[in-house]
Amino acid sequence: MNQNAFDEKILEEAWTWLEAKQSVVLATVIETWGSSPRPVGSRMIINQNGDFSGSVSGGCVESAVISECIELLNNQQTHKKLEFKVSNESAWEVGLACGGEIAVYLEKIH
Amino acid sequence: MQPIILKEVLRLKKEKKEFSIITDINNAANYIYSPQHPLPTILEPYAPAIKTAAVKRTNGMIAETSLFIDNYHLPIKVFIVGAVHIAQYFCDFARHLNFETIIIDPRGYFTSKQRFPETKVINKWPNEAFLELPLHANDALIALTHDPKIDDPALSHALTQQCFYIGALGSKKSHTSRCQRLQALGFTDAALSSIHGPIGIKLGGRAAPEIALSIIAQLVTEVYKR
Repeated sequence: MNQNAFDEKILEEAWTWLEAKQSVVLATVIETWGSSPRPVGSRMIINQNGDFSGSVSGGCVESAVISECIELLNNQQTHKKLEFKVSNESAWEVGLACGGEIAVYLEKIH
Repeated sequence: MQPIILKEVLRLKKEKKEFSIITDINNAANYIYSPQHPLPTILEPYAPAIKTAAVKRTNGMIAETSLFIDNYHLPIKVFIVGAVHIAQYFCDFARHLNFETIIIDPRGYFTSKQRFPETKVINKWPNEAFLELPLHANDALIALTHDPKIDDPALSHALTQQCFYIGALGSKKSHTSRCQRLQALGFTDAALSSIHGPIGIKLGGRAAPEIALSIIAQLVTEVYKR
């Protein structure tokens, strides 16, 4: 064992949101390649208003994750996998400036 | 994730159990895996790989499957000897860094609930406290009282248990005399050199929160060295 158990209490917060009758999507970093800002297992929750807690990157891809989550809440799907790659500086696309790649898994809590 | 699974996860966390959450990313099915939660039949074919990931605490996709595993293990325990001002700030930092803190101090005035609302406080002498809550190699111990009557027995115990992090507050001079006292009890130079004294990394500050920060910074460094 070479690290402490990191726990940002996101799942506890998700429960509080559910109790407040909010629709919640759980986003989890499930894979990383190269230099990524947050490790596998990092979590974030998002509600229908776009409020969020936690993180899946250093702020690089959160806005894209939030819009995908809101879309998920508005359709019949239960889950979705997103992949983010190195950003192209010449475009206004979302990406990871660090040069890494991450896969984020979205699942509704319902 | 179904709310019923989330609820069970939160119950296990609250009861300080170690467990894993397995998610099939193809269909968003979640399974809890722990000694009390055996793998369902559907996951049996992947049992060896799942067990390995759980034991090694490796979070991630199980190779050549659509299964993601996320392991929950207990935080490292930090025994703080001395319910002093620095300890109050230390407990605040520790909460964010996910260490579990336990305070030991035989002095009643120091150990009031008001001073440490969220920390387990044992109002006993160290040797009695360790009977109640034993110390292990995977724990850290920091001695903050400056009082040899309280600090020394705790440090002796931590050295015997080979705690991965042992620290003692005090100047170089008081650390030298502390080491002489412990040496007289039979501890070797090698054992004594494992005590971080004076405790903490060099930040320069002397205020209670600054010292608390310097101690917890050193503790985090030692956690990642292991």
